Amino acid sequence: MTGLSGGVREFVLAFADDEHLMGQQHTEWIGIAPFLEEDLAFSSIGQDELGHAATLYAIVLGGDSDEPVDDRQLDALAFDPDPLRWRSAHLTEIRTDDWAHALVRHWLYDTAEQLRWELVAASTLPALAGAAARAEREEWFHRRHADGLLDVLLPAPEAGERLRAALADLLPIAVGLFDPVAGEVEAVAAGVTAAPFHTRMPEWIDQIRSRFDVDLPAADRSAPTGRTTRSDAFGPLLSRMREVLDLDPAATW
Amino acid sequence: MKRYEVFLKKDGRDEYRHAGSLDAPDDGLALVLARETYLRRAEGDRLWLVDRANLVVGDTEFVAPNADKPHRHNDGERIAERRRRLREEQAPREEGSSS
Repeated sequence: MTGLSGGVREFVLAFADDEHLMGQQHTEWIGIAPFLEEDLAFSSIGQDELGHAATLYAIVLGGDSDEPVDDRQLDALAFDPDPLRWRSAHLTEIRTDDWAHALVRHWLYDTAEQLRWELVAASTLPALAGAAARAEREEWFHRRHADGLLDVLLPAPEAGERLRAALADLLPIAVGLFDPVAGEVEAVAAGVTAAPFHTRMPEWIDQIRSRFDVDLPAADRSAPTGRTTRSDAFGPLLSRMREVLDLDPAATW
Repeated sequence: MKRYEVFLKKDGRDEYRHAGSLDAPDDGLALVLARETYLRRAEGDRLWLVDRANLVVGDTEFVAPNADKPHRHNDGERIAERRRRLREEQAPREEGSSS
């Protein structure tokens, strides 16, 4: 079994990392979301994102091979303690302690995620195109969930104010989702993705404008970092994710 | 928040059955939340939600008076008992004739 290599590997890995951390963040609301039904819905959506992450990590490790990827190998990649191996966007790393931020991040991320899957829907990597088709069957529901809540909450005075304040906090970090890894150039050249992700950013900004009814400057890309630096929130997040693994590093799973 | 009663059924099988209830701010979110609360494990593929405000409810005093009229009950117990007795009476004869 041959896994991906070079720029294509880095490109798929960045997508996998975002999905993994976003899923982890959503599931951390289990038991503390505003009401019981939402608690279940939000953590279930998180579970979907973890499923996408597992699929993408398996593509990184197995390429287009039909052979199943060894679970332990997949875990080793997904829970790698070395921060240098990660390519996550900072939006997926930060901790949101209040529901307004969690909900706005959910909407911002899933709206961008739709554009991201569209770009790989006709990928020359068939496993990735297949993952895109499968993901979209779940993602429309995630967007309906986020939009349903925003439909109710944005017109309410206090809730609307808190949500727009959360948007103002999160937007400068969220634009980093479109920050490419160095390998994206190679992924575009190989037809693994149709175009650089940032080409879809103006569309995303338009969606934010109409959803939140706010004036926003034209899409402002912060200086690209190549996703090689981790935010301050990353260390604590990875510790929470590795909590059980770290109890006994020598254990065989 | 409104309260909804949730009914599920499998396509082509059974009747709609009450699965539980649900709190949601409106009909659209009630559908979304019902899917995650009651259908995550494919418990059904048909869903009805009823806003509890729309239920026609008979109160206990109105419904209960017939509870003390056992002569109207038709639970089949007496017939079942008689058939059981007849079966038991026949059983030894059948055994005898087959041997």
